[in-house]
Amino acid sequence: MTERTALRRGLLGLTPLLLGALLGVAAPGALAEPVARPALESLAALNGQAPARRTLDIQSWRTAEGARVLFVPAPELPMFDLRLTFAAGSAQDGDAPGLALLTNAMLNEGVPGKDVTAIAQGFEGLGAQFGNGAYRDMAVVSLRSLSAADKRDAALDLFTRVIGQPTFPEDSLARIKNQMLASFEFQKKNPGKLAGDALFARLYGDHPYAHPSDGDEKSVPAIGVERLRAFHAKAYAAGNVVIALVGDLDRSRAEAIAAQVSKALPKGPALPRLPAPKAPEAGTQHIEFPSSQTHLMLAELGIERNDPDWPALYLGNQILGGGGFGTRLMEEVREKRGLTYGVYSGFTGMQARGPFLITLQTRAELSENTLGLVRTILADYLAGGPTQKELNDAKRETAGSFPLSTASNADIVGQLGAIGFYDLPLTYLEDFMAKVQALSVADVKAAMARHLDPNALVIVTVGPKVAQQPLPAPTEKPLEQPLAVPEH
Amino acid sequence: MNVTARRLAGLLLGTLCVPSLASASDPQATHEFSLDNGLKVIVREDHRAPVVVSQLWYKVGSSYETPGQTGLSHALEHMMFKGSSKMGPGEASRVLRDLGAEENAFTSDDYTAFYQVLARDRLPVALELEADRLASLALPADEFEREIEVIKEERRLRTDDKPGALAFERFNAMAYPASGYHTPTIGWMEDLKRMKIEELRTWHEAWYAPNNATLVLVGDLTEADARQLVQHYFGAIPSRPTPPAKKPLELPEPGERRTVLHLKTQLPSLLFGFNVPGLATAAAPREAQALRLIAALLDGGYSARLPSRLERGEELVSGASANYDAFTRGDSLFVLSATPNAQKGKTLEQVEAGLWRLLDDLKQTPPSAEELERVRAQVIAGLVYERDSITSQATTIGQLETVGLSWKLMDEELSALEAVTPADVQAAARTYFTRSRLSVAHILPEEASHD
Repeated sequence: MTERTALRRGLLGLTPLLLGALLGVAAPGALAEPVARPALESLAALNGQAPARRTLDIQSWRTAEGARVLFVPAPELPMFDLRLTFAAGSAQDGDAPGLALLTNAMLNEGVPGKDVTAIAQGFEGLGAQFGNGAYRDMAVVSLRSLSAADKRDAALDLFTRVIGQPTFPEDSLARIKNQMLASFEFQKKNPGKLAGDALFARLYGDHPYAHPSDGDEKSVPAIGVERLRAFHAKAYAAGNVVIALVGDLDRSRAEAIAAQVSKALPKGPALPRLPAPKAPEAGTQHIEFPSSQTHLMLAELGIERNDPDWPALYLGNQILGGGGFGTRLMEEVREKRGLTYGVYSGFTGMQARGPFLITLQTRAELSENTLGLVRTILADYLAGGPTQKELNDAKRETAGSFPLSTASNADIVGQLGAIGFYDLPLTYLEDFMAKVQALSVADVKAAMARHLDPNALVIVTVGPKVAQQPLPAPTEKPLEQPLAVPEH
Repeated sequence: MNVTARRLAGLLLGTLCVPSLASASDPQATHEFSLDNGLKVIVREDHRAPVVVSQLWYKVGSSYETPGQTGLSHALEHMMFKGSSKMGPGEASRVLRDLGAEENAFTSDDYTAFYQVLARDRLPVALELEADRLASLALPADEFEREIEVIKEERRLRTDDKPGALAFERFNAMAYPASGYHTPTIGWMEDLKRMKIEELRTWHEAWYAPNNATLVLVGDLTEADARQLVQHYFGAIPSRPTPPAKKPLELPEPGERRTVLHLKTQLPSLLFGFNVPGLATAAAPREAQALRLIAALLDGGYSARLPSRLERGEELVSGASANYDAFTRGDSLFVLSATPNAQKGKTLEQVEAGLWRLLDDLKQTPPSAEELERVRAQVIAGLVYERDSITSQATTIGQLETVGLSWKLMDEELSALEAVTPADVQAAARTYFTRSRLSVAHILPEEASHD
């Protein structure tokens, strides 16, 4: 159960398309037989108020070295989460695809006086959890620890050595490169990965988002320790990080931790912003692959994370294909025709313009007609916009799911990381909610049309070439209004 | 969601670390009661955020199914979203979505569960909807016709076109010769093709009774709230006798089994599985706890034996894992998987020998105090971390209850672990890591065709 809620995606600007498909099973749809049914008494009893959420006291400051810090005290559980987000993703790889990911993966392979096993034993012996990961915009390094002083201080001491003084041992580098080469071999038989890589290459051309974060079998072997050191010195600098802290800490303790982390990092400024990508050439590319299903990906350039249209696009996409069940795409493709297990759409707001993506898989013999169906659904939606009812429902959903987006410390530290990294205001969560609630049908329609053109799609399909069959006829039943869901 | 990777989900630190009374913080109030109709309810209070998770767990899953009817539990789970007396097909999902709820369901070999995560004031809606589809599921035939196509797509996506998942399905079929655990939760494709709506109706009538279910509520609510709501929505549903449910028991020593699978993969890999008891079938619970400790020693972190010895030390594998799910209704499997380090020219045979070296070492040498202390530290911390998620708390409670164990085990983790001696570890290794209990699968790239 690792699904993210639609709202969390909305707030963070992530889409499930990049994170792996949602594991959905339910089959909603407003299709209902025209028979009288007793109304839900529980629904009628709801008072129509938007629900409350966990109160967050977001505090922010800068360290002496220039790192932005966001902190939320959460004394309920004797633990804390520390999450460092560097502008050190694969968009900073330059001529060495895979450099950012390798540097990030090598941080905990050695520090002065400790090898990889000693580091792992150190964290694990304290019950602390070290985490790392590199993506296109960002590289993340995180620590979760008990807040008891003996555990906390020892874990932080080791953590600051790992982020500040990695030794990048040669033998570890050779081993990790070999593991990456093995994963490239596995990827050759993964149609979803093949489709995603081809799509980003076409969508981004010579932009640094074009290549996959893990590089490729030509680029990775050529990356040496000196490149890692240079990348660490520049991209893991104190001016290039956002420090998010949540947990059982008071303000002075949080300040001390942030200062300790910031001081341990190389000195240096934030890296320059990324260039804007050029408009890609529309069209379809097919990759032959012997799977039983065909993977379909449709994309356009979307938006930067700070785009003022983000609330309208978030809401517009929720109706089209965001968040799983009950969307236009899911209704038409899965519910009425049984063509797919899941179809999703989403904008990923990034530092430079991230993608708008639609993904699905269907049996090979229906793939061409299914692609046509999806294109028609998108074009119709862009031409007509949402209905008033769709808009009202999506607003209600967004307000209702707000409490879920900050329920756990893990949720909160993720929100803080995104707010800090994309330089959003501390009131961002409330602002987003207020903006969504103020949107009209015309606002959403105009925003979607401003950013998407049904004739500009870049499409990649991966699957076997087989004789195509017509789609089954859709079920068509009168839509029944949901029963008295209250407004708020 | 369909928990087809069931056996691989049981890594010690994934399942052993649960909220608890243990040392680090105040206990979390947990209440247990039953309605007159037999519905068991467990309420765990967590007042950090105004949010609640509701999970309804049924004691039925693919291990209850018979040949020819595989996939029935999972298909019924899909059809639970297709209407009941108060809701048309898909309508309940629409109502919940409009309320901002997160909802879904999952099926495994031992259980079928449905959940909603939502703002606390909306909990009555989730309970009313859940009670309605327990008592009056519609099962429309035309909806089933389309839904079975969706399920076939799900199978193609998640098993047929995924070499790792496909290999594991075949491996399980071999590794469980006697019990229903050989059945893939999603069902064999041939059985999906001939499944009938009448079979689903019979399955629902047989197993979906309040006395065969556990309702788990975790979050910002009190016991009194829960009692009133649950009684109101579920109290009138009559109890019904269910068919006898027998524990899936295995042959103790089925004999060594080997298979070679040629699949759409670029690199070879292998699976090892030993037939072992689960916590519900072990002669003494300590045996199962010792196996869990072994899984942690092998793979409970980056400093554990598989990564430190085989992945980094010998560079024999590019990746390896050990998994043991003790929380099963019946006998379980201790699974090792590994991919040889191709860049170093390592072979499957060398990896098999390497795995045996680790297992034999467990038989001969007791684990060091330092190693045990690291596992203990992770368990203690994990007890706290797990409390950050209401969903994982609910899932642990629901799984334990549904496989016939008590939710209270989650609060007794530390003492259970500390009761395991180094001698217990050696005894468990000697008893269970034998060739007569072993299944091996070699997964190889498809041979080039010569036509």
